[in-house]
Amino acid sequence: MRLTDRAAFEQYAAEAERRWAERTAGDRWVVSVGISECSIAKGARQTMDHLRLALEQAGIAAEVRRVGCAGWCWAEPYVEVKAPGAPPVIYQKITTDKVPELVDAMKRGVVKAEWALGVRADQPFEGVPPLNQHPFLAGQRRVLMADWGIIDPESIEDYIARGGYQAWIKAIFDMTPEEVVNEVKISNVRGRGGAGFPAGIKWESGRRTQAWPKYVIANSHEGEPNVFKDRRLIESNPHLVLEGIMIGCYALETPHGYNYVGGEHKLAIERFRKAVDQAYELGLLGDNVLGSGVSCHIRVRTGGGAYICGEGSALMYSVMGQRGQPRTKPPRSVEEGVWKRPTVLNNTETFANIPGIIRNGGAWYAAMGTEKSTGTKLITMQGPVQRIGVVEIEMGMPMREVIFGLFGGMREGYVFKGVQTGGVSAGPLREEQLDVPVDFDSLTPLGGMLGSGGFVVFDQSVCAVDFARYLQEFNRYESCAKCVPCRLGNPALVEIIERIRLGQARQGDLALIEETSRPIIDLSLCGLGQVAPMPTLGMIRAFPEDFAAHIEEHRCPAGVCPVESGAPAATAAGD
Amino acid sequence: MAHATHTDGELDLEPLKRILERDFRYDTHQDAEELILGACQEAQNLYGWVPQPAAQVIADHLGVSVNRVYSLLTFYADFRTEPPGKHFLLLCHGTACYVMGSQRLIDTLRDEYGITNGEVTRDGELTLQVVNGCLGVCDLAPVIQVDHHTYCGRLTPDRLRETLEALKRGEPLEERNETD
Repeated sequence: MRLTDRAAFEQYAAEAERRWAERTAGDRWVVSVGISECSIAKGARQTMDHLRLALEQAGIAAEVRRVGCAGWCWAEPYVEVKAPGAPPVIYQKITTDKVPELVDAMKRGVVKAEWALGVRADQPFEGVPPLNQHPFLAGQRRVLMADWGIIDPESIEDYIARGGYQAWIKAIFDMTPEEVVNEVKISNVRGRGGAGFPAGIKWESGRRTQAWPKYVIANSHEGEPNVFKDRRLIESNPHLVLEGIMIGCYALETPHGYNYVGGEHKLAIERFRKAVDQAYELGLLGDNVLGSGVSCHIRVRTGGGAYICGEGSALMYSVMGQRGQPRTKPPRSVEEGVWKRPTVLNNTETFANIPGIIRNGGAWYAAMGTEKSTGTKLITMQGPVQRIGVVEIEMGMPMREVIFGLFGGMREGYVFKGVQTGGVSAGPLREEQLDVPVDFDSLTPLGGMLGSGGFVVFDQSVCAVDFARYLQEFNRYESCAKCVPCRLGNPALVEIIERIRLGQARQGDLALIEETSRPIIDLSLCGLGQVAPMPTLGMIRAFPEDFAAHIEEHRCPAGVCPVESGAPAATAAGD
Repeated sequence: MAHATHTDGELDLEPLKRILERDFRYDTHQDAEELILGACQEAQNLYGWVPQPAAQVIADHLGVSVNRVYSLLTFYADFRTEPPGKHFLLLCHGTACYVMGSQRLIDTLRDEYGITNGEVTRDGELTLQVVNGCLGVCDLAPVIQVDHHTYCGRLTPDRLRETLEALKRGEPLEERNETD
C-alpha cells in the first residue's frame, strides 16, 4: 500500500493504533519472544519454534510474535506471556528445555513466578513484582528504548501504532527546515559517537554551506571492541533511526541520506534494509512524499571490518568505495564530505533522538540530563558484572549507581578492580573515582571519557600491564597506517609494554612510553590516532603499583603476565 | 558451510553474476564506485573468500579496474583472498572477551592447533579469524562463532578443545552455552 497524502497517513496511523489496542486489550493470548543478535546466540529462535509447536499441541490459540532486544542480555532468551485478562509476565532464560513446563503452566492458568523477571503492571501479580521495580530498570529513563521488546522491529505498522513517523509528518508539513534545526539546537543534543559536538550547530553549518547536492549520513559502524548499543538500537527499533535520518535530510534540504552499518552486524543490516523497504512501500520515502513536495531517499552501505571507518572522513571514503583512511581538516565535512559535497554525519544514537525532539520540542529534551549534557544515553556494560546488557540513563547518573545498581555489581567470586571508559581511547577509573557523574565532561579530567557509552568492568584477575598491552595492541592493529607517528608509534608502545610484561623492563621505560606517546597525540591526523596512547597512559596513571611490581620486582600481582620471576633486572646496563 | 562451487570444485561465478545483475544496478560511475564494497561482501558470503575471478566479475560489472577491487580486499579486515578451511572460527577478542580470558583461547589455538589470526590448520579443518571489534554477545564472553551461525560461549581452553573435537567428529554444537 502506498499512501498519497497526509490524511491517508493519519487514517493508516489510526487503524494501526486500533489494531494495536486490540492486541493489548487483554482478551487473548499473546506470546512475544525477543529476537536479536544476543538472544539468537542463546537459542531464542529455537525457543520460538518450540513455543509455537507446544502451544498448538496444548490447544492454546496464541499469537506468537517476534519483538526486539529489551536490553536485558543476561536474561535471554526471554518470553513475554500475556494471558487473557492478565497483565503480561516476562520470563527469563527460557531455553527450549523449559518450554514444555512453561506451556503447561499456561494451560493450567498459573504463573511460574520463579522464572519471572517481572510483570508489566504497577502492582505485583501472582507473586511476580512489577517489572519497573526491578533493580535493572528502576533507575533507567527509557526514551530511545521505550519500545524495545514491545514492538516487532520488522513491522512498520507496529512502529506507527506507537506514534512512529509522526515527527516526520510534523516536520515536512508543519515546520520549515530552519525550525527543525532550531529545535535540535534548543535540545542541545550532543553527538553520541564520542566527540560530543552539538548536533544542531553541525546541522546549521551544513545548511550554511552553499554547494549541492548535500548528504546526510548516520554512522552505525560501531567497530569499537566494547560497545554494542547502536546495533541493538537498529535491531530493536530500526524505524526510529530511519526517521531520525529522514528528518536530518529535510533539515539539510537534501534527498540524499545514508546509513553506514558495520558489515559484521548482519541482523542490524537486515532489519534496517527491511525498514527502508517498508518506508518506500508505504510512501514515506521516495519522491514527493505524501504530496508534500519533499523527496527523501535512503541508501544502506556496509563496512568491511576496519575500526578506522568509524572516523568521519574515513567513513566517507568508505562510502565512496575507497580505502577508509582519514584526511586532513579543514575543509570540514560539513563543507566538503562525500563526493566533495557538504555532508552532515552523526551517530546512529544521535539520529534516534531526533524524532522525540521534533515531536515533543527541544525544551522537553533539554530538561533531561544535566545542563551541559542533555538527554539520555545508551550505556553498555561488560565484564564480570551480574547483569550484562544495554541500559538508557539520564545523563549525570553516578558511575557507581550504574555499575552496582543497574548492572548489579560484581558476579560472585570477582572483586572489582576498575572500569575501562571510552573504549580504546581513554583510561580506566578506580573504585574511589566511581562517584563521578556519567556525562560528556565529568569523566575527562579523571583521564576517562564517555566515548560511545561502552564501559568494561574488570576484576582483580586482570593485570593493568596486560590490559594496557591489549588496548595498545588493538590500536596498533587498527591503525590505518597513513600517519607515520601512529603507524610506527603504536608498535613501539606495544614493544615497550611487552618488555614490562615479561619482566624485562629497562630503566626509564615509563618515561619512554610518555615520550613515544607525545608525537602520536600531537601529529596524528585523525581523532583515533590522537588518542591511541591514552589507554596505556591511563592504565599507568590508575594502576602505577601494577607497573612498579613488573618493573622493579619482576612479578605480576594478578598472575597473568609471563614474567621471568627471579631473573636479574635487565636494568639496561648496556643502554 | 556450503559455498557455491561446482561439484568438480570449479568456481561457479553464475550466482555472483545473478546477484550483481539484480541488486547492484547503477546509473552513474559515482554510484558504481559506492557499490564495490558491498559487491565484495556478496562474493565473500557466497564463496567464503573472494577468488580472483570473482573480483574480476565485480570489476567488470561495475566498470572499475580489478586493482581497485583489490585495494579494498586488502584493506578491509573482513575479506579473505585465500580459501578458508572446512570450518570457520570467529573468535571475539573485544574488551569484554579479553577481560573474561579470550587471550588464553588465542594462546591455546596457537600452541596446540598452530594457527593465529587469518590462518588455516595444516589439515585444512579450521580457519581462525580473530575479531578485534565485538560480536555483541558479551553475556557469553569469551565467545566464538562457529561456521557463521553457532555461538559457543563462556569458554575456557578445556571447553574450547572439547568444542573443536566435537566439530571434528561432526557432532552438532547446540546446547554448549552453559551460561550459569
